[in-house]
Amino acid sequence: MTIPVRIENLQKTYQTKKRQGLFKSSVRQVDALKGVSLEIERGEIFGLLGPNGAGKTTLIKILTTLLLPTNGRAFINGFELTKQDDAIRATVGCMLMGERGLYWKLTGRENLVFFGALYHLPPAARARRADSVIERLNLGEYADRPVETYSSGQKMKLAFAKALINDAPLLILDEPTNTLDLPSARELRAVVRELNQQGKTVIYTTHIMAEAETLCNRVAIIDRGEVIAQGTVPALKESIGQETVIKLEGVIPTQASTAVASLHGITRSAITSVNGHNQLTVVTPNQTAVLPQLIQTLSGHGAILQKITPEEVTLEDVFIAHTGRTLAEDTAQ
Amino acid sequence: MTTIQYTPPTFRHKLSAMLAETRLRLINISRYPGQLVMEFIIPIVFAAMPMLLGQATAGDQAAANFAANTGTANYVAYLLIGANVFTIVSGAFWHIAYWVRFEQETGTLEAVYITPTSSPVLIAGVCLYSAIRSTGTAVIAFLIGCLIFRVNPFQGDIILALLFLFVGLIPLYGIAFIFGAVVLKIKESQSVLNLMQWLVSFLMGIFFPVTVLPPFVRFIAQLFPPTWMVNGVRSALLGVGFFLETWYLDMAVLWAFLLFAPLFGIWVFTRTEGNLRGNQGIGQF
Repeated sequence: MTIPVRIENLQKTYQTKKRQGLFKSSVRQVDALKGVSLEIERGEIFGLLGPNGAGKTTLIKILTTLLLPTNGRAFINGFELTKQDDAIRATVGCMLMGERGLYWKLTGRENLVFFGALYHLPPAARARRADSVIERLNLGEYADRPVETYSSGQKMKLAFAKALINDAPLLILDEPTNTLDLPSARELRAVVRELNQQGKTVIYTTHIMAEAETLCNRVAIIDRGEVIAQGTVPALKESIGQETVIKLEGVIPTQASTAVASLHGITRSAITSVNGHNQLTVVTPNQTAVLPQLIQTLSGHGAILQKITPEEVTLEDVFIAHTGRTLAEDTAQ
Repeated sequence: MTTIQYTPPTFRHKLSAMLAETRLRLINISRYPGQLVMEFIIPIVFAAMPMLLGQATAGDQAAANFAANTGTANYVAYLLIGANVFTIVSGAFWHIAYWVRFEQETGTLEAVYITPTSSPVLIAGVCLYSAIRSTGTAVIAFLIGCLIFRVNPFQGDIILALLFLFVGLIPLYGIAFIFGAVVLKIKESQSVLNLMQWLVSFLMGIFFPVTVLPPFVRFIAQLFPPTWMVNGVRSALLGVGFFLETWYLDMAVLWAFLLFAPLFGIWVFTRTEGNLRGNQGIGQF
């Protein structure tokens, strides 16, 4: 059976020119992907997680043939990247750039029919497929209005519909719930699940770890161009061993969080700011032994603690355990 | 064993995708009716300026003086043809060369590039759209202009004039691809396109015969297909005289451009596109 996605040591280096005066410029190299290898099985919903700038979009752009890799190989639906790009494009449904990939002066239906033509569907099949996608995603109410009159959520749904127009066996969805409100995001995830149950393989990128936890069979966490962890969600949680997570909220000065990082018995710690309060996440193998020492160190460095919560390990904690940073912190940067 | 089958698109599939691209753009522009109306008016206003200046400076002798230098006393039609061919040249630059940049800005370029329709097919669709839009508006603007300035638009060899127009469009679009590649490379390219449309329009002689240019500038002017196109249309309708004495020799030159310019233009464009895919990507703006 053909593996939908096989990626072998994929690398991408961007070269950017920096002007130095009128005629001089220097070339700067940025390694966006540093040897990514992955295999995605048929019928999986595979999550690509990571903060903004981690390399997720670069990887997606390479897999969708928009970018050429600097090194490495990839096979999509059994077709080799850079050698059989047309076949790859024909057998993948993509949602990239969200609502920006639509023609705003055209109606939703006109957009779908147009993209159907670019996927080489015969005219009658285009119209039928557009009708069926419109019905499935409940777009009927506004499908014949110009896209410029849509709300942001409606545009995202139409962009998702566009990804389904060629009925491809592999769907690549890049942050599809961005700008959607909670009910719409839930609805979209339900459709993704339903499509997956019907046999479609899905690559789903997100920086929202909770979304990946509820939706994906397996995930790969990408950070600074490398896959730092991959596996099923329970396996990844187990991978940080017997470790547990303590979340501490309050006013926590920098010197206090720095002091905590050097305490014995603490694997990783990371601080974020939530609604004017600091939240310190601490990963430790022995919660009971560490807690008194932790409170003492924080208080001794001027921290005022308002809430201490021992929590279940989440994918966010897996990210912290591997990188020493929180996802929110990286995404904000 | 389950394998995914892929059947390459047939010519019919490609033609259908090309026509879909043309249709998309025609629907899009039809939703800006004010802009279309302006496209009928601008060439008339544009031609009216030198026309009125000529009348103001030469008075009753305007037609005779004009005939002495150009070969026709019908300066109204001469200037209207120049102004309308200019809108076609300008359209080629803005509809085709600027197409990529516009789609980059609106975010739709990546959306079309991830489909199995190749960029030459998309470009062909954009060219057909530009041809329909700009020749349609140019012909209508010419008819309205002739009506306003009381000149008979149906004189001379209309079929030959249209032949020069349509044969000239293809190499013109080839040149537009080359500028399209420039736009892909330098991004903020409005100023370059603005400059080029005026430079090409000056060299093709929108308001004067290129024979009045100094020999070297005239030589440069004759390297541009629009120069041969506009002179062919004027010669067919007004009898101003072909560059090589007979229409078929002038037409042969345009055919030489036709065979070379589009292939060279597409080659330059797809090469630039390939280089971009190798670095920052086609949709980057």
